[in-house]
Amino acid sequence: MRKILTIAWREYRAMVATKAFLISILMMPILMFGGLAAMSMLSSIGELKERRILIYGVEENPGLFESLQAAAEQENARKRQARETTSKATSNPRDDFASGPQELFNLEARNEQLDDAARAEISDQIRRGELYAFVELPPNLVTDNSGAGFKVNFYSQDSSLSEARRWLMQNLNRIVQESRLKLSFSDEQIHQIERARAPIMVAGLSLVERRGEEIQGAEEKSEMLDIFLPMGLMMLMFMVIFMAAQPMLETVLEEKSQRIAEVLLGSVSPTQLMIGKLLGTVAGSLTIFAIYMGGSYFAAQQRGWTEHLPLHLLHWFLLFQIFGVLFFASIFMAVGASVSQLKEAQSLLLPVWMVMMLPIFVWLLIIRDPLGPLAVGMSYFPPSISTTMILRLATNQAIPQLQLFTSLAVLIVSTLVIVVLAGRIFRVGILWQGNVPKFNQLLRWALRG
Amino acid sequence: MPNAIELHGVTKRFGRQIAVDHLDLQVPEGTIYGFIGPNGSGKTTTIRMILRIFQPDQGTVHVLGKSNGTVADDRLGYLPEERGLYKRMKVREILRYYARLKGFYQCNAEIEDWLERLGASEWSNKRIDALSKGMAQKIQFISAVVARPQLVILDEPFSGLDPVNMEALRSAVLALRERGTTIVFSTHDMSMAEQMCDTIFMIFRGKKVLDGTLDAIQAQYPADRARAVLSENGALPQLAEVADVEANGRVLEFRMNNPSEPNHYLRQLMQSHTVESFQVIRPSLHDIFLRIARPEGYVEPDQSSTEVAR
Repeated sequence: MRKILTIAWREYRAMVATKAFLISILMMPILMFGGLAAMSMLSSIGELKERRILIYGVEENPGLFESLQAAAEQENARKRQARETTSKATSNPRDDFASGPQELFNLEARNEQLDDAARAEISDQIRRGELYAFVELPPNLVTDNSGAGFKVNFYSQDSSLSEARRWLMQNLNRIVQESRLKLSFSDEQIHQIERARAPIMVAGLSLVERRGEEIQGAEEKSEMLDIFLPMGLMMLMFMVIFMAAQPMLETVLEEKSQRIAEVLLGSVSPTQLMIGKLLGTVAGSLTIFAIYMGGSYFAAQQRGWTEHLPLHLLHWFLLFQIFGVLFFASIFMAVGASVSQLKEAQSLLLPVWMVMMLPIFVWLLIIRDPLGPLAVGMSYFPPSISTTMILRLATNQAIPQLQLFTSLAVLIVSTLVIVVLAGRIFRVGILWQGNVPKFNQLLRWALRG
Repeated sequence: MPNAIELHGVTKRFGRQIAVDHLDLQVPEGTIYGFIGPNGSGKTTTIRMILRIFQPDQGTVHVLGKSNGTVADDRLGYLPEERGLYKRMKVREILRYYARLKGFYQCNAEIEDWLERLGASEWSNKRIDALSKGMAQKIQFISAVVARPQLVILDEPFSGLDPVNMEALRSAVLALRERGTTIVFSTHDMSMAEQMCDTIFMIFRGKKVLDGTLDAIQAQYPADRARAVLSENGALPQLAEVADVEANGRVLEFRMNNPSEPNHYLRQLMQSHTVESFQVIRPSLHDIFLRIARPEGYVEPDQSSTEVAR
């Protein structure tokens, strides 16, 4: 046992006491969550972009431009103020993600009628960067109460995705509706209509919890949290497994190519060696988990988000992580023992990668329907159990206990089988100096030892 | 003298290929035992069976009094050829690691002692990949002996070493024997085997072909080599009925196809050269190795007339 612990300690140190480990600890979240963080950062740093927009057809819609301009100024002032108060100690992470692009709208009124040549000319101005967009208002937009549908044309280089277009549509509808109502109704009547049309909010609440005698009230749920928390946990699981399994491959390759394996196997049995290596890898993965969890907790505490951290999932995460790491580290170890170079390992690992990443491709489908056939099916497919189950558990939907424990049992049994089969491949492969074995040869090693 | 290693009727197959074939071997304690044999002859397989990395298909392997097992004895140290060290580990760390894997936990004093003895103390905090080849070989040697083994298997311990480092390691090996350690020494350097080994064992195509002291081995072969010292460099002599000719300056060595008549060869030499000395010698280990391991179908040089190339 002491020798196994000696091997485990070396493996652990080889994994975590390196510069590469520190760099990857920092780089992995940046690579995985970098897109989200970059969006959030880019929207809050740099100058506010001014969007110069020409509005045509103003004369035929009296008062409309003035109202639009007032709305634009109000919106611009709100954005400027938000930018100045950069201390973003928001109580809900949703506010951060919802802040959107930072644009200021500079509207200019135009009265000319546009023909195709004029439109082409203005389009060229947009291409040259002299303005951002132009809008054609149809005549009598405000006064026409016939119920006919109107279409306002918004021309820009990014019109389909344009934030300005969305803002304009919202405000144009609001202003035109108010103006039309004023033509037919008194202020009091309009007031009554508005009250009657007051929007109804359907709040998403968690289920009411029963804690012994005490009943804990439901809490309002955040859409962003419901989406990003499961995804974040799934990515964390993936990162931990990846960061633990990959060094195993490299170490075994080094042991094989440098004939270290012969020295080791001259001191311990292959089984002792394998157990020691796996223990060290699991310990390394727990360190990675502790670092990320500690970091997340610290960051959440700084922002007052600790209540959103899924601490109740901690034990499940650890269980699925440990077996997930054992499962994949064993496979990586067997592959490392079977080849002589990293590039040879890549072709053998491609199918492993594919199944390992399967939940990442369908995560949105799983969190939308965590009890659906896809989610349940993937919870019983050993390579995807760890990531799928943590994804499902993080949705806070009640996962049937039978499914949960069956899934864990499948993972444990399949991990034990994989460890045994990988051990057989490892024993033969680590001293194998010939060509890269073919799949059926690996299978023969795995089955016969 | 009791034996450190005993192999009885050991056979090891890999698929249809027989790597070691009914091998019997006794390595007495406290001796330096040379393992020689061409590549692929079964040497490494034999060593791996002694290390318990491989199990024999037939026969028994006794190492330090223990019969077949699955894990090498902690009293056994092993030095693989050239490699065997983690490149990114520091010298002292790796020595400590290997000592502990042999169950030797209070190893710091022994490590310091060996580092000092082989002049490697100042490298103890360096990573293996920062060491020269000679220094890495020394560290590798220390890793094999740091746990005070009773039996050490050294696979090509001197390969790639400069004369100074070679002498340092040679002295260390001899010192180990003085301490009573049994040393199995696998090498392709026949002169080193002649110098250092008490007993020599040669394996060829999985079978034992030589086993004994150098004298005993040489006695099995007729004294069919001649060494002549010529008085001057000059045109090379034309010699008939010779093989394996080697010329080194004025010294000429060859194998006589008819060793019972050395005068016949001396006369041939004297026809064209002044011969300062002429000596009939026993074949060296190198010659014997070549005679055994030469590929089948190998055609000897023209025996009727051989011009010596200098």
